[in-house]
Amino acid sequence: MKTLLIALLTLLYVHTYAQSTISGKIIDQQGLPIIGANVYLKGTYDGTATNDQGVFSFETDATGIHTLIASSISFETYSKSDKINHFQNITIKLRDDVNTLDAVTVNAGTFNAGDNAKVTALKPLDIVTTAGALGDFVGALQTLPGTSNVAEDGRLFVRGGDAEETQIFVDGMRVFTPYSPSANNIPSRGRLSPFLFKGITFSTGGYSAEYGQALSSVLLLNSVNEPQEEKTDISIMTVGLGLGNTQIWDKSSLSVNANYINLAPYQELYPDNNEWHKPVASFGGEAVYRYKFNNDGLLKVYGAYSAVDFDLTQEDINEVNGVRFGLNNNNLYLNTSYQDFMEKDWSISTGISFASDQTKLKLDTADITDTENSAHFKLALKKYFSSSYKLNFGAEYFITDFKEDYSANTIENEYKFNNNLLGGFAEADIFFSKNLATKVGLRGEYSQLLQEFNLSPRLSLAYKAGQNAQFSLAYGEFFQNPRNEYLKFNTDFTAEKTTHYIANYQFVKNKQIFRAEAYYKDYNNLVKYNTAFTLSTSTYDNTGNGFAKGLDIFWRDNKTLKNTEYWMSYSYLDTKRNYRNYPTKATPDFASKHNASLVVKRWVEDWKSQIGFSYNYASGRSYTDPSTGRFLTEQAKSFNSLNFNYAYLISPQKILYLSVSNVLGTKNINGYQYADQPNTDGIFDRRTITPAADRFFFIGFFWTISKNKNYNQLDNL
Amino acid sequence: MRTLLLVITFIFTMNITAQTSYEKGMNKAFALWDQQKNTEASQLFERISAAETDNWLPPYYAGLIEIVSSFGLKDETVLTTKLTRAKEFLDTASAISENNPEIMISYALLNTAYIAFDGAKYGMTLSGENAAIYQKALSIAPNNPRVVLSKTEWDMGAAKFFGKSTIPFCKDIERAITLFEAEEQTTPYYPYSGLERAKAISTECKKETSPKN
Repeated sequence: MKTLLIALLTLLYVHTYAQSTISGKIIDQQGLPIIGANVYLKGTYDGTATNDQGVFSFETDATGIHTLIASSISFETYSKSDKINHFQNITIKLRDDVNTLDAVTVNAGTFNAGDNAKVTALKPLDIVTTAGALGDFVGALQTLPGTSNVAEDGRLFVRGGDAEETQIFVDGMRVFTPYSPSANNIPSRGRLSPFLFKGITFSTGGYSAEYGQALSSVLLLNSVNEPQEEKTDISIMTVGLGLGNTQIWDKSSLSVNANYINLAPYQELYPDNNEWHKPVASFGGEAVYRYKFNNDGLLKVYGAYSAVDFDLTQEDINEVNGVRFGLNNNNLYLNTSYQDFMEKDWSISTGISFASDQTKLKLDTADITDTENSAHFKLALKKYFSSSYKLNFGAEYFITDFKEDYSANTIENEYKFNNNLLGGFAEADIFFSKNLATKVGLRGEYSQLLQEFNLSPRLSLAYKAGQNAQFSLAYGEFFQNPRNEYLKFNTDFTAEKTTHYIANYQFVKNKQIFRAEAYYKDYNNLVKYNTAFTLSTSTYDNTGNGFAKGLDIFWRDNKTLKNTEYWMSYSYLDTKRNYRNYPTKATPDFASKHNASLVVKRWVEDWKSQIGFSYNYASGRSYTDPSTGRFLTEQAKSFNSLNFNYAYLISPQKILYLSVSNVLGTKNINGYQYADQPNTDGIFDRRTITPAADRFFFIGFFWTISKNKNYNQLDNL
Repeated sequence: MRTLLLVITFIFTMNITAQTSYEKGMNKAFALWDQQKNTEASQLFERISAAETDNWLPPYYAGLIEIVSSFGLKDETVLTTKLTRAKEFLDTASAISENNPEIMISYALLNTAYIAFDGAKYGMTLSGENAAIYQKALSIAPNNPRVVLSKTEWDMGAAKFFGKSTIPFCKDIERAITLFEAEEQTTPYYPYSGLERAKAISTECKKETSPKN
């Protein structure tokens, strides 16, 4: 008995220590050997690395079924469970990990800003430290190619499209009224404060099927998931005051900030060419609440309220006393989003955004009140099948409820409409290899107001031609319902449509980026009407059309000059349209043929200062001189502006910031206004429309109070 | 009885063998690291990590090697690949041992590797994150010498950047040295190191405070 037991035990021992050899070769998808890959049996200490030929061999005491793992940098980890003796002279093929930095990116038409982007055209900090941008993220985006400088408007005009053709989304949810209202000829600013966002994607065409109702461009903003620490920010500026506070709890956090802007003292010192009865005064408050659930769920609630008030008289060639314009705007915006990762590589994102906007206008004797309530509901699901195949699909619903009350003297009118729209989308991301990838999507939309259904296909393709270079192509059809300005008078429309064709070349090498992109855009079903202004009595139809084609070039270099970064953009645009009340096809007055900008930033260590310059150029835009009898054939003078900014770190938590736009005081011309009637010589008199002020100065002092003494507001500027 | 004893001895021996294979593996990995064979060392730690699923040390070291060896790299692609891998190891380690100050300061070191590569790109966002990590680590382990040392080094770096004196921080370095010397080294393979570095910084401190000739 004893002997037997010993024999058994010995046998067991021998059996346990019976060595088997595991051997084979590891290759990549092209069949080339992978050197230095880590191969081992999971749960044992047995393993090795492959040699110069990709060959490995090691001994193991393990028996039975085990899992063999092979892993190597920039490849997907391989694992296989089998009997030990089956792991002999095997060949393992590792798949490229397409998530690595050197994989191709599907990027035709798209610029990314943020730390996580593979190729970053703008860094988060650039958004706010670009000279001339004055802390408005839209200003920084205007230094990217594909945008047109329309100095008197301030909004984004992309590739021959007007500002209404660009839509802005926060965490995937639509922002309905992204810009603060302003008077004629005074640029409006984005309502959203730039430091709430960590990632910005600016697409100038060919974008994902997830986004609709935008003919030209989408701007996607991602808000910060988790603030880093509790702090209080105080800002004292020449134009107003700001106060912010962040509180962090175990699973949640709250950031609140408020600002009050009043231009009265500034206008007292530097009067501009308007007669102000009530200089611009605005109050704004924002709050973001974030809650992290035990699983990976994250809830974000963003709320913003702003109120703007001003009253002025502006010069007008047809009115001796000028035109009086008063505005009072109240805007409330709520954005709630929830994101969660679920089992089996599914993820869900859902949200609701809601905007309530009321504008009271006083235009000479007329009182106009516009009330717009809008909402967006969205549910999107993502399934990650493998790193080379992902599927994204979802549904959304938009509601817009618009009402206008018009009263002047004895006339009283009310115009209203409901513009509700149901959309659905599905899109697949497919990587054939690390060098070839595609995105295929389809979007369907049903508009209840127009009673029509539109289907828009989207396709993009990217091919990596070498270590640093890649080519991309994109195609897509885009629909957008006519703007409120028309819908309030007429709803018998079909959706306006564009088709985009884009070809892109990109070269990225260590801190240097070169991009060139050529595009063609075809516009159809544009709204036309037959009167000088949009009126309830005008005749409307959808017979307008047009095109835009051009070339965008971008170069950024953070390498050549020490402590200095610069980028250059050039855009060539050729566009003509026959829409609105155009008698013929013409280049719209917001489009300039050549746009260029240069942005330079230098960090001067000894002075603890960042000095920045930017230069913007836009060739002259078209205007109509009624004396010639031709339409939009004249060309105004070109636009030039050199801007300067300076940030000085007094101490880690105190910053002095100075910014001057148009340092040289170049006399720019925004356009001309002609008299309605010719003078006695038969010539139409005109008035030159110039910017309200040639230069704008801004001085601010920013102070952060926090436990950690190093944190400051430089990234808020 | 003898049989039972035999069986017990046998099982015990096997158990010992299992234990020593961990020690053997760890010793070999440290030896490889010592010989600058970073890849081999990291790979061995990875293999040990796959076997010892409830021990945070192997993945911690696998990640730490990747981080340390990424300082001074010139190619952003390689840097990001290495640090992404390092982060996965640290994630594994911190899933095993939550709120571990040693792992937390390694995350900060990982961020520092990014900042050292391109301060303009990563500095603004990651330095705030680091400050928060150190704050949290210090609140969990106020007397951990490595936490005190790395937080102080970070603060000194920031002071240098703003052209301020680093001398006020010297007392914290001295405190770290005291803590290092008082530390009881009981857990095998625990990352106790750091005293030498603290002493080197302390020497620098003394040079600066002593009157110049």
